[in-house]
Amino acid sequence: MIGVLLLTGFLGSGKTTLLRHLLRQPAFSRTAVIINEFGEVGLDHQLVEASTDSYIELQTGCLCCKVRNDLVETIDEMLCRRDQGTVPPFTRIVIETSGLADPAPILQTLMIHAAGRLVLDGVVTTVDAVNGASALAREPVSIKQVALADRLVLTKSDLADGSQRVLLDRLAELNAAAPLVTANHGSIDPALLEGVALDPRTRSLAIEAWLGEAAGAHGPRHTRHDSEIQAYAVVRDEPLHAVALTLFLEALAEHCGAGLLRLKGIVDIAESPGRPAVIHGVQHVFHPPAWLPHWPCDDRRTRIVLITRGIPRRWVEVLLDALKAEVVATAAEP
Amino acid sequence: MTDLSTETLRELLAESLAAWRLVGDVRSAGGLVLLSCNATEIRVEPVPPGSPFRWMVTVNGRGRGALSLLAVLRRVRAALDCQYERHQVRIAPAPVIPP
Repeated sequence: MIGVLLLTGFLGSGKTTLLRHLLRQPAFSRTAVIINEFGEVGLDHQLVEASTDSYIELQTGCLCCKVRNDLVETIDEMLCRRDQGTVPPFTRIVIETSGLADPAPILQTLMIHAAGRLVLDGVVTTVDAVNGASALAREPVSIKQVALADRLVLTKSDLADGSQRVLLDRLAELNAAAPLVTANHGSIDPALLEGVALDPRTRSLAIEAWLGEAAGAHGPRHTRHDSEIQAYAVVRDEPLHAVALTLFLEALAEHCGAGLLRLKGIVDIAESPGRPAVIHGVQHVFHPPAWLPHWPCDDRRTRIVLITRGIPRRWVEVLLDALKAEVVATAAEP
Repeated sequence: MTDLSTETLRELLAESLAAWRLVGDVRSAGGLVLLSCNATEIRVEPVPPGSPFRWMVTVNGRGRGALSLLAVLRRVRAALDCQYERHQVRIAPAPVIPP
């Protein structure tokens, strides 16, 4: 399986600088890169030098609204050329989105069309320490880029005057679950981007990191929210019947639509004792559950993290409990 | 017939109204739940044993059976929110490990 890392961030937030740095690191050798630029004439790809065992593709147009099919075709073509040996045998794909792209439909596209040979390694979002706060205040897509991140990379902090407290507080409000990494002149330790997402290939997961602190023992106290986007965790001690989980996901998809920005979780399934299911969805598109051979940590509770726009936490909790109760009642009937 | 409590159903419908940004009244009475919103009266009640349905949802006097709470929510929302567009869940194809 080939990992796909989605690199996003608002215009001028330092995505290309970060990518250029990453591609120079041994850990990011054998990487294929797809750079998406909004304009007709791309420049970013000329700023990125690939090593001899990596290579770069360019797409123009906005990935999230116009060229999703193009993305699928590009990836398919890259895999085909890899199989034929006409390009280096890359082991990772990095997709750098345009600064105006909404990452949610791109994630959906990857989940639906690329499931055969690819696995989503996660979403890394760059945030400009100088202009980030104003971008978040003005640009809804900037908020979504932050809210959907598995890792946040703070860039240009060397250029920022004074305290970045306002920006840091805002990032914590929008996505407390994503660890924040500070880039030094565009450079970060590549290891900080490893294990960004759950890796079902190896089952070696840092589940607490993947779920984020919102799912941890202190979840409720760390819940952050603003008027639109909320991140919260639903934690349950008792196992769920598989059909209750299915109904729950179906209800969320049906009634939340685009309001469900992202869902990820580890679930104790009654029919699969000792082997939890890992679930991951974006809006109404879900990965099939990945089954772990055992619990990755001592905490064996069901923990589901939701990043939502305008979906009340209380409704989600009541919905899950009601569906669970109905399934239990059904199972008890003669 | 379900053993799910009327109070659980009432709370689910009340929280659902809030989630859908609708204002209305939800109350339980005698084993059923009554909901009024947008000049629409809805009654949700468990059906007697032997029926293929678990719930009966009656909207302005017209009753329809529902197989599950999920179907109840779908019916209630469709009755209350003319702009409701159901999003069907899509499950991405399972990864196939290449040989």
